[in-house]
Amino acid sequence: MTGAVRKRTLMKRLHWVDFLIVAVLAAFFLYVWFQIEGKLNYIWRWEQIPNYLFFYDERTERWTANVLIQGLITTIRISIYASILALILGVILGIARTVTNLTVRMLARTYLEFLRNIPPLVVIFIFYFFLSEQLIAAMNIEEWAYGVARQEDNAVWEFFFGDMRRFPSLISGVIVLALFESAFVGEIVRAGIESIGRGQREAARSLGMSWLDETRFIIMPQALRKVLPPLANQFISLIKDSAIISLISVQDLTLKTVDLANSTAMIFEAWLTTAALYFTLCFSLSLFFRRLEARGRSAH
Amino acid sequence: MRFSRRTLGVALAGAVALTSAIPAVAQQASQALSSESVIETIKKRGVIKIGLSLFVPWSMRDKTGELIGFELDVGRKLAADMGVEAEFLVTSWDGIIPALVAGKFDAIISGMSVTAQRNLTINFTDPYAYSGLTVLANRQMTEGFSLEDFNHEDVVFATRRGATPAVLIPELFPKAQMLQFDEDRAAAQEVLNGNAHATMAAQPTPNREAANYPDTLYVPFDQLWDPRGEAFAIRKGDPDALNYFNNWIAHSWRIGWLQERHDYWFKTTDWADQVTQ
Repeated sequence: MTGAVRKRTLMKRLHWVDFLIVAVLAAFFLYVWFQIEGKLNYIWRWEQIPNYLFFYDERTERWTANVLIQGLITTIRISIYASILALILGVILGIARTVTNLTVRMLARTYLEFLRNIPPLVVIFIFYFFLSEQLIAAMNIEEWAYGVARQEDNAVWEFFFGDMRRFPSLISGVIVLALFESAFVGEIVRAGIESIGRGQREAARSLGMSWLDETRFIIMPQALRKVLPPLANQFISLIKDSAIISLISVQDLTLKTVDLANSTAMIFEAWLTTAALYFTLCFSLSLFFRRLEARGRSAH
Repeated sequence: MRFSRRTLGVALAGAVALTSAIPAVAQQASQALSSESVIETIKKRGVIKIGLSLFVPWSMRDKTGELIGFELDVGRKLAADMGVEAEFLVTSWDGIIPALVAGKFDAIISGMSVTAQRNLTINFTDPYAYSGLTVLANRQMTEGFSLEDFNHEDVVFATRRGATPAVLIPELFPKAQMLQFDEDRAAAQEVLNGNAHATMAAQPTPNREAANYPDTLYVPFDQLWDPRGEAFAIRKGDPDALNYFNNWIAHSWRIGWLQERHDYWFKTTDWADQVTQ
């Protein structure tokens, strides 16, 4: 279809009501904007924002990421690691919710209900103060991270984890976020497992498969394929939830924005830019997953 | 039960063992105390971890994203004198004391004023700076207000959650309403926008804000309220660290270094071109 034809069909599909709706919405936003402009005593300084994305470092003579991009990179890192961990924990949790053993089922249920019925912020403080610190101390992570930070050739570590001095805080952020999200991943996985017909399991058993083999080879491959779209959604919502961990001093995009707003008095520019960064990240991922899903469907 | 000579002997031996053990226990306890001091942890790690919350001109990010400010000078000099590296952990203000108590960093150096309430939870060193709070008000909304006029049901104060003004405002102006924000800047912005009549903050912030927006903001009173010392905060039960930091602060006062740095950040604006203001 050529562009002109497409344009004509689009125009034909639009009714005058559609134009009216758009006009009313536009008028509404203009009204809000003028209200804000009239009331807001604020000097906008958008021209300063690009400097806080990237700046030209005169000492090293190259373009360097500034606070906002550094924060964005940390957010991406944390989201990736936390999703991997949450997926592992969530699959275990999902399987535990469907086994026949009552104790295992009850334990999984308790964990899940505990996490689902407490606000994320509270969960994160509890995990942070009571759990992650103990884990980090027990595994001697801090001393090790400082050791790596002092080494000369730590480029690989820095690529994966950023400044190694911040590794303990990054890890506790990842653990806290993963534990929290695993409850939701667990529910998704359980729904996937339960959607596989009982006949599959019975057929596997009649072939003499053990429980482990039956789960591994028969149930999980089908269940996971079914739950991929909701899992992708959960990943995007994890990115958004990761803003909460700024409260436990993980140097993510949100905390860096707070920093910037406090240092420069550009509160609105800083927060609007951050909103745009989060939106770009999440929306492009959502488009990407949608495309994957469509391709997956056509392959079948 | 009959009281035999044998039971008496056993009891005596027990008593002797106990009394001789007490000094040993005490010695062990004092050794444990010094080896558990945060000073030892810092030396072993080679890094002092300092918790702070950004607050111009105490601490802020410059145009290249680096931390600068009075606290940073203090923290870096302290680390250099200890022969270790300084690491600054930016934390939200209302979570900074719990984070210290939970061991997330070794000390808070963040313009924290010594208050009786805070001192119940953490220990403070001697002050390394002094400051007082004053009112920053919206010019149009509070035209011709006397101090008493601010104490009125219709007057709204904006303030940063958990900061000293949030405690002081209800004491000074019990009738006024109070809006609380997570950031200092948000509080000042509410005054600028006319959503709040006034805010209270430590000087020189009010003077600087008033200079930035002379048409809207002003500092109505010269008076400073609640003049306090700002001190390092450390966990309780660490006499060695308290001694070390106190001596460092006393020495820095004597040589005039603290005064000189404080004047640079609080009285001059030589640093202003490093940041976007």
